[in-house]
Amino acid sequence: MGEPKVPVDLILSKLVEDADKARARAHKASDVLLGPLDSEIAATPYEVVCQEDRVKLKHYKPVTDVKLKTPLLVVYALINRETMLDLQPGRSVVETLLAHGIDLYMIDWGYPTRKDRFLTIDDHVNGYMDTMIDFIRQKHHLKKINLMGICMGGTFCVIYAALNPAKIKNLVTTVTPTNFDTDKGLLHVWMKAVDPDRLTDTYGNMSGDVMNFGFLLLNPARLMIDKYVGFFENMDNKKFVENFVRMEKWIFDSPDLPGETFRQFIKDFYQKNLLIQSKLEVGDRRVDLKNLSMPLINFYGKYDHLVPPQACELLTGRVGSKDTTDVCLETGHIGIYVSSRCQKEFAPRIAAWLAERDAPDQKPRKKKSTAPKKTKVKTAGRSKSSKRLRKDTQRSG
Amino acid sequence: MNEKHAKNETGPDFLSAWMKMAGDVWGNMFRTWSDATATIKPSAASPGGASSHAQASLDAAMKTWQVLSSTMARPEIMDSMFKGSGTMPEILMQLAQSTLAGFMEFQQKWFERAGRIGKSTEAYTFEDLDENAFRAWNEIYQKEFRQFFNIPQLGLTRFYQEKVNQTLDKFNLFQTAIGEFLRLLYLPVTKSFSVVQEKLGELSEAGELPEDSQEYYQMWIKILEGHYMTLFQSTEYIETMGKTLDAMSEFSAAKNDLLEDMLNMLPIPKQKDMDDLYKDIYLLKKRIKALEKKLNH
Repeated sequence: MGEPKVPVDLILSKLVEDADKARARAHKASDVLLGPLDSEIAATPYEVVCQEDRVKLKHYKPVTDVKLKTPLLVVYALINRETMLDLQPGRSVVETLLAHGIDLYMIDWGYPTRKDRFLTIDDHVNGYMDTMIDFIRQKHHLKKINLMGICMGGTFCVIYAALNPAKIKNLVTTVTPTNFDTDKGLLHVWMKAVDPDRLTDTYGNMSGDVMNFGFLLLNPARLMIDKYVGFFENMDNKKFVENFVRMEKWIFDSPDLPGETFRQFIKDFYQKNLLIQSKLEVGDRRVDLKNLSMPLINFYGKYDHLVPPQACELLTGRVGSKDTTDVCLETGHIGIYVSSRCQKEFAPRIAAWLAERDAPDQKPRKKKSTAPKKTKVKTAGRSKSSKRLRKDTQRSG
Repeated sequence: MNEKHAKNETGPDFLSAWMKMAGDVWGNMFRTWSDATATIKPSAASPGGASSHAQASLDAAMKTWQVLSSTMARPEIMDSMFKGSGTMPEILMQLAQSTLAGFMEFQQKWFERAGRIGKSTEAYTFEDLDENAFRAWNEIYQKEFRQFFNIPQLGLTRFYQEKVNQTLDKFNLFQTAIGEFLRLLYLPVTKSFSVVQEKLGELSEAGELPEDSQEYYQMWIKILEGHYMTLFQSTEYIETMGKTLDAMSEFSAAKNDLLEDMLNMLPIPKQKDMDDLYKDIYLLKKRIKALEKKLNH
C-alpha cells in the first residue's frame, strides 16, 4: 500500500490546531471588545467659521507656521462624510496638510433632510461653495484660493473652477469622475439602467443607506463576507479593532443625497456624460472645461472600482490649462486617503505641488521634465506636448 | 287549468266589488266630516286661514282617492293587474337564475384562472423550477390575477378602494421583482460552492489537497468574487436590478398615496403639504440669496 493521496490526518490535526487558536482568540477578543477602545474619528481641532443652512465651513487650527500664502479649501462628496480625510492620528490627510504649513479649510455638507430635496447642483456649486470661497477670499484679502475636490466633490470643484476661473489659483482633483461614458466601473454600467426620475419623485432624497447597500453590492464577497472574516481573525488585536471600528463608523455614516442633485447627477453625468464634452449646464451657464486655465493636478487610483482610471484620466486633456499633471496611484478609491503607504505620497505631494505654485500672479508654467515616466498624448491630431507630460504611476497602495 | 281560469275570473270581480265598497265608505265618511266642519265659523285669529287650507287639501286628496278607486274598481283594470301579478314569480325566477349564473360564471373564471397555474408551471421541469419560479409566478400574476385589481370600482368609496387595489397590485409586483433579484444575488453562492467541490475533487485526485483550512476559504471567496463580477456585468442582472428599483418605487408611491388618504382624517400635515411648503421656502431663499448677492456686488 502506497501513501494516501489525501493527507486526512494532517488536515484534521490542522483543524484541531485552528479550533484551539480560535478559542484563545475569542477569549482575548472579549477583553479587547469589553475594554476601552479609542475609535474616535475626525479628532483634529477645527473651528466653524462660516455657515449657510446646514453647510459649514471648517477651518483647521494650524499646527505649524503657515508656509503657503494661499489657503486650500477641500470639498468632499455629498456621499459619506469628510471625516474620512481625518480618520485617525497618523493616517490623516488633514494632519499631513497642516504639518506642511497649509492653511486648511473644509466644507462639511451636513445631513440633508426632506426639506433639502429641491437643492440642485447649481445650489451646491454656485450657492454654498461660492459663499464659502468668497468668505475665504475676503478673510485673506485674496483674489484666488486653492481648491481641492474629493470624488463627487472634485466634480463640483471642476464645475466651479470652470464657471469662476478668476477665483481659483490651483485645482487639485482626487478620484474625481469627469468622464462617465465607460463600462469599466460597475457604477457606470448600473446607473444607465436606473430611472432617477422615478426614484426622486418617489423618495424625495436618495437614502444614504440605500446608496451604501449599492456600494456594498459592488463587491459583496469582499465587502460583506471577507471583511468580517478578517475582523474575526484579528479581533484580539486592539489596534486592529480600533482601526476597523473607525472605518466602520465612517463607511456607515451616510447622509441622504438631495433628490434634485441625485436626479441631475445621474441624468446629466452618468447617462448623458455632458461634463467632459463641455455641454453641461449649471445655473443656466455652460460649463466649458477650456475655462480651466489654472494649474491642475489630477489623482486617481489604478484599482478604484467606484471611479476607475477611465473616468478620471480624460480631464487633463480637455482643459485650457497648460500646467496639468495626472497621478495614478496603485490603490483603490479609499486607499488613496487612508492607506499607510499613501500617507507618504499623496498629501505631501499635494503640499509640494501647491508650494511650487504659491507665488502671487504666477504665469502658467510648463510641466517639469523630472518625472520618472513621461507620456505624450495626441488628441484630435494636434500634439499637446504640454499636456499630460507627466503621468506618474506610483506603487503605493 | 279550468280551476286556474276560474280563479282568474273571480279574482277581479271580488276585488272590484271591494274597491267600490271601500270608496263608498270613505266617501260617506268624508262628506260627514265636511258637513260638520262647515258649521264651524273661521276664528278671528285665522281668517280663512289654516282650517280652510286644510279643508281644501282634504277635498283634493278625497277627490283623487275617489277617482283612483273608481278607476281601479273597473273589472278590466283588475284583470290586467291580476295577469301581471301572475307573471311576477316567473320574472323573479328569471332574475334569480340570471344572477346566479353570473355569479357562477365569475366563480368559474376564478377557478379557471387558478387551474391555469398548474398549466403554466407544467411547462417548466422540476430542475428548472428554482430558476424559473419567479418568472412563472410573475407570468401567472400578470395574466391571471392582475386584472382583478383593475376592475373598475363604483360608488362613493371607489376612489379609495381603487388605491387599495393599486397598492396590493404594486406590492405583488414588487415581491416578484425582489424575489427574482435576490435569487440572482444568491446564484453566485451556489455556483461557487459547486465549483469549489469540483476543484477539491481535482485536487484530491492529484493528492494536492491543502492542509490549511484558510486555503479552502480563500479558494471559495476568490471564486465567489469572480462569479459576482461576472453576474454584475450581465444584462440579466442589470435589467433585473432596474426592474426591482422601479417596482420598489412604484409600490412605495402607491403605499404613500394610500397612507396620505388615511392621514387626511387626522389633524396633521401630510408629506405632500410639507413638500409644497419646502418648495416655497426653497424658492424664497433662492430669491433672497440672489438679491443679497446683487446688493453686495
